Amino acid sequence: MADMTLTLKIWRQKDRKSPGKFVTYTVENVSEHMSFLEMMDVLNEQLIKKGEDVVEFDNDCREGICGMCSLVINGRPHGQEHGTATCQLHMRKFKDGDIIVVEPWRAAAFPVLKDLAVDRTAFDRIMAAGGYTSINVGGAQDANAIPIAKRASDEAMDAASCIGCGACVAACPNASASLFVAAKISQLALLPQGQIERRRRAANMVAQMDKEGFGDCSNHAECEAVCPKEISITHIARMKREYFKAMALGE
Amino acid sequence: MKLDSKIPEGPLAEKWDKHRFKLKLVNPANKRKYNIIVVGTGLAGASAAASLAELGYHVKNFCIQDSPRRAHSIAAQGGINAAKNYPNDGDSIWRLFYDTIKGGDYRSREANVYRLAQVSNNIIDQGVAQGIPFAREYGGLLDNRSFGGAQVSRTFYARGQTGQQLLLGAYSSLMRQVAKKQVQLITRTEMLDLILVDGKAVGITTRNLITGEIATHMADAVVIATGGYGNVYYLSTNAKNSNATAAWRCYKRGAAFANPCFTQIHPTCIPFSGDYQSKLTLMSESLRNDGRVWVPKKRGDDRAPNDIPEDERDYYLESRYPSFGNLVPRDVASRNAKDVVDDGRGVGPSKVAVYLDFADSINRLGENVIREKYGNLFDMYERIIDENPYKTPMMIYPAVHYTMGGLWVDYNLMSNIPGLFVLGEANFSDHGANRLGASALMQGLADGYFVIPYTIGDYLATNKATKVPSSHHAIEESVALVHDKMDKLLYIKGEKTSTEFHRELGKIMWEYVGMARDEAGLNKALEEIPKLRDEFWQNVRVSSDKNLMNKDLEFTGRIADFLELGELMARDALERNESCGGHFRLESQTDEGEAKRKDDEYAFVSAWEYKGEGKKPALHKEKLVFDNVELTQRSYK
Amino acid sequence: MPALPTSLWSSVARKALMALTGLALIGFLAVHLLGNLILLTGNADAFNLYSNIYASMGSFLYVIEAGLVAFFLIHIVSGVTVALGKMKARPVSYEKTANAGGPSRKTISSTTMIYTGIIVLAFLVFHVTTLKYGAHYETTIHGEKMRDLHKLIIENFAQPGIVVTYVLTMLLLGFHLRHGFWSAFQSLGALQPRLSGLIYTIGVLIAIILAVGFLFIPLWIFLTA
Ligand SMILES: Cc1cc2nc3c(=O)[nH]c(=O)nc-3n(C[C@H](O)[C@H](O)[C@H](O)COP(=O)(O)OP(=O)(O)OC[C@H]3O[C@@H](n4cnc5c(N)ncnc54)[C@H](O)[C@@H]3O)c2cc1C
Ligand code: HEM
Ligand code: SF4
Ligand code: FES
Repeated sequence: MADMTLTLKIWRQKDRKSPGKFVTYTVENVSEHMSFLEMMDVLNEQLIKKGEDVVEFDNDCREGICGMCSLVINGRPHGQEHGTATCQLHMRKFKDGDIIVVEPWRAAAFPVLKDLAVDRTAFDRIMAAGGYTSINVGGAQDANAIPIAKRASDEAMDAASCIGCGACVAACPNASASLFVAAKISQLALLPQGQIERRRRAANMVAQMDKEGFGDCSNHAECEAVCPKEISITHIARMKREYFKAMALGE
Repeated sequence: MKLDSKIPEGPLAEKWDKHRFKLKLVNPANKRKYNIIVVGTGLAGASAAASLAELGYHVKNFCIQDSPRRAHSIAAQGGINAAKNYPNDGDSIWRLFYDTIKGGDYRSREANVYRLAQVSNNIIDQGVAQGIPFAREYGGLLDNRSFGGAQVSRTFYARGQTGQQLLLGAYSSLMRQVAKKQVQLITRTEMLDLILVDGKAVGITTRNLITGEIATHMADAVVIATGGYGNVYYLSTNAKNSNATAAWRCYKRGAAFANPCFTQIHPTCIPFSGDYQSKLTLMSESLRNDGRVWVPKKRGDDRAPNDIPEDERDYYLESRYPSFGNLVPRDVASRNAKDVVDDGRGVGPSKVAVYLDFADSINRLGENVIREKYGNLFDMYERIIDENPYKTPMMIYPAVHYTMGGLWVDYNLMSNIPGLFVLGEANFSDHGANRLGASALMQGLADGYFVIPYTIGDYLATNKATKVPSSHHAIEESVALVHDKMDKLLYIKGEKTSTEFHRELGKIMWEYVGMARDEAGLNKALEEIPKLRDEFWQNVRVSSDKNLMNKDLEFTGRIADFLELGELMARDALERNESCGGHFRLESQTDEGEAKRKDDEYAFVSAWEYKGEGKKPALHKEKLVFDNVELTQRSYK
Repeated sequence: MPALPTSLWSSVARKALMALTGLALIGFLAVHLLGNLILLTGNADAFNLYSNIYASMGSFLYVIEAGLVAFFLIHIVSGVTVALGKMKARPVSYEKTANAGGPSRKTISSTTMIYTGIIVLAFLVFHVTTLKYGAHYETTIHGEKMRDLHKLIIENFAQPGIVVTYVLTMLLLGFHLRHGFWSAFQSLGALQPRLSGLIYTIGVLIAIILAVGFLFIPLWIFLTA
């Protein structure tokens, strides 16, 4: 296939406080084997040579696991491919002459830092509110002391595979963080190790989520559809049950 | 420079126990009076920061990314070793120790490796208690798989996301301490210099990657856990932000850099496809459990893989190494892939790849079993290459993956600079000349959870904290140095981007300091790298603003350091005229073309001392003593 | 031991309140529809006798009415909170939006809940003022004097404007319920992946039955008058 020429409409914003706007760029000679971010690299190389500021976008592992990359591509967080993070999206999914709109995650709880990079530390604060088992190093019993049903362990692993990218928030019409929060609550609720603190965890993590200014969950399930790890909203249902238990039974 | 490894006396199995007893303790009530800086939030950094905070120390924990959870440890796929012997196949602490020493081709310390094997079991216990959903059998007990370089199944895993799960476990413990205010988390911040006062490490100079602000942080001890430097090669399986800067700054402040030339080239990566490529993707080594590696017997065979009949395929690992077959250690597997490709039998569009074929396993176990084990890896492969690996064999080729070398540390994981501790991939300690699969996760967590909490106490107990005034000249000098370097880079306004330089450096490194090295090539590298570096300092162009988020500026600074480190690696490789593990000198091979060690001359750790700008670094040798294992030629036949 | 920081007004509990009140309102609508079906028989006395059951409840009716109003209020206040919260949570909207497809349940129904809700509310005000507090005709059945609601209804449904209003609003109510029914179960944490598709289908059926049922009555009366 011949190389492509693409038009990119990219959100540019100098810093947290400045207003932003869309700027249009043309990128030529895009190979179908490139990843989306490699295409962005090509653009940035051009900008550097022209003496312009590079387009800032977060990324690190480039293999779909660190959760650092973001970008809303043509209206879809992480682009149109299901189960795929932006860094794993390849240009063969686009056509010559395409116009691609690239925007940052948009949510009050994820303020833009520069261009396409946003601040996702709200997720860390939610984790700090209870996304752990309160055990210190040194006291753990033998790993095989408590057998865990394979099904429970597998389902916990489904939830645990969340990469904390925030696409669920970006895609949600309400900017709700329910899927991210539920994934952690659900993982630990499914495992014996998480039992001791399960109610306290659900209550605290939900409280922190609300405090961070995410929206409510209207059950659009867009989150599941864009999640690069395809985490199911069934975990949100479990989070709700956990929360109701916490309400009803207390500590 | 004095290199005292501080290996405790006594029988191997008792060393760690006795040493722990001898280490001085900090009184619990006094712990909160100590401040510790931990740079890095990977397995090593996060586990260290969490454990130290649990003990009561005040910890400041730094990372480049926006969250600790994104450290590159997250990308480890395959698994983590431990000597649990759950499968009852004859594993033991001794066997894990022996395999690791042998796998490292006898270039690591017995005492360190033994300790690693000893604490390996505790790591799994800790992980399970944190709620890590390791793979399980139907009976509810933990499952194991086998990995290269071992004949027992001792690798614990969580699908193809073991590093992710272990890191999230450590991260969760860390966030618990953040909530308790025992740890102050400072993200999107890069350490750019180490501050020494009276020869002791007492702080670091950092840049806030959002605002560009340069700041200094002072502490009673500094722990570096900043990962490996594989990105010297430009293309590697490392993340884009992986870098050597923190370690390199420590080196330039006097910390010895050990075995810089020991790099691991991983045999199972997705092959290179074009110049725009920004990284190489690893396919977990665990795939070699069920995949068979082959190339056509005929040179230049252009048929599609499935059209090549069985008897025209060369399953070269199985035929050359009957007892280990596809599970030979990484260095051996990589070199053999290079051999067949150099022989003109490579496959794929570039002819620089070999097949990894699952047809047999799919026939034997069914597609579902294979999907369950490796589904996410297969998906990842298909996304990148656009071919279905359930139907067509995968194409793989070696890529730079891990750096065994790193800052020199003693048994306590302290460098030769008092108060500077180094953990995880950033140190050189446990893997010798080659790391076995699933051992880096083990080492990073062993360092952070089970070693540093004891050894740092000994240092703190014997080194009373001195308050350093903020006007101290060491602080001012460090800040000025950091500003100068950045201003210089911005001032050049040349014609090439830093990525272009990085790519060129990578080509030199891969060509001459890659899978096979020889004197002529290394000398060539030693000529070309300084030339490239000079050009860099005259002709690089950086995106302009230093008071804003500016990833180009960050990367350019790191590339400047790679341009220096690359030279040291070539120098070290030239100096070591033997083959061992991942370091293969063409001059030193057995008759069968395997790596040939020269134990009489080279059974030592090379530790390089920085001697100043433009001066040749000095080589110090820490002799390796083997009382417990016999040094044999590694054989996986 | 300190109590857990749970609250009835947290994002999770708020949605549970919505779901419970929403489901209760669906229950009310179902009963309401069943009663209304009597209108289709054309038997005015039967209908008036039926509606008189409520009228003769006395103060108990107030209790029911108060309960109904309370349910509406809770539903409305929490619904408005969700809708306002959404604007606060995403102050800058996207230049381009697209549905993700796949397992997504995002539809025109799910994204317009607040609008369909408000229109239904406005309709309810109209509905209650024109009927409950509308012209008071009287009739005598089996010697008992009671309100002739049937007459009022027939009068009303003879006007095309009113019929069109009913038909359109009931369609919108159908949209509200298409997402609402399934959504309520998810909000209550009652959904398993296995059940999800089934409940969604049941929700669609209920939406169709209620909407078509309610809009058919005025239409039928209008057409057969
Ligand atoms: C693709 C891949 C797969 C792997 N699979 C396996 C496996 O299956 N089993 C196994 O045992 N090993 C595996 N490894 C190796 C293993 O993952 C790493 O060696 C190990 O995770 C390194 O951990 P670390 O904590 O030392 O460093 P990292 O996880 O790399 O963390 C480095 C930290 O330091 C921070 N940092 C770096 N520089 C600075 C600076 N200047 N200032 C501030 N912060 C800084 C970073 O932000 C980061 O937080 C794999 C490696 C790769 C690349
Ligand atoms: C008879 C009338 C009504 C019925 C049967 C009904 C039913 C429902 C149901 C079952 C839900 C799903 C609850 C959930 O998601 O948990 C819902 C949601 C909703 N309702 Fe109603 N409702 C009615 C009237 C109203 C009115 C008058 C409003 C006025 C504002 C309203 C606004 C909403 C909104 C905004 C939602 C969506 C909540 C969200 O997005 O999370 N509804 N309704
Ligand atoms: S739930 Fe999915 S979309 Fe949301 S943060 Fe986790 S991985 Fe990303
Ligand atoms: S860059 Fe790591 S997930 Fe995309």
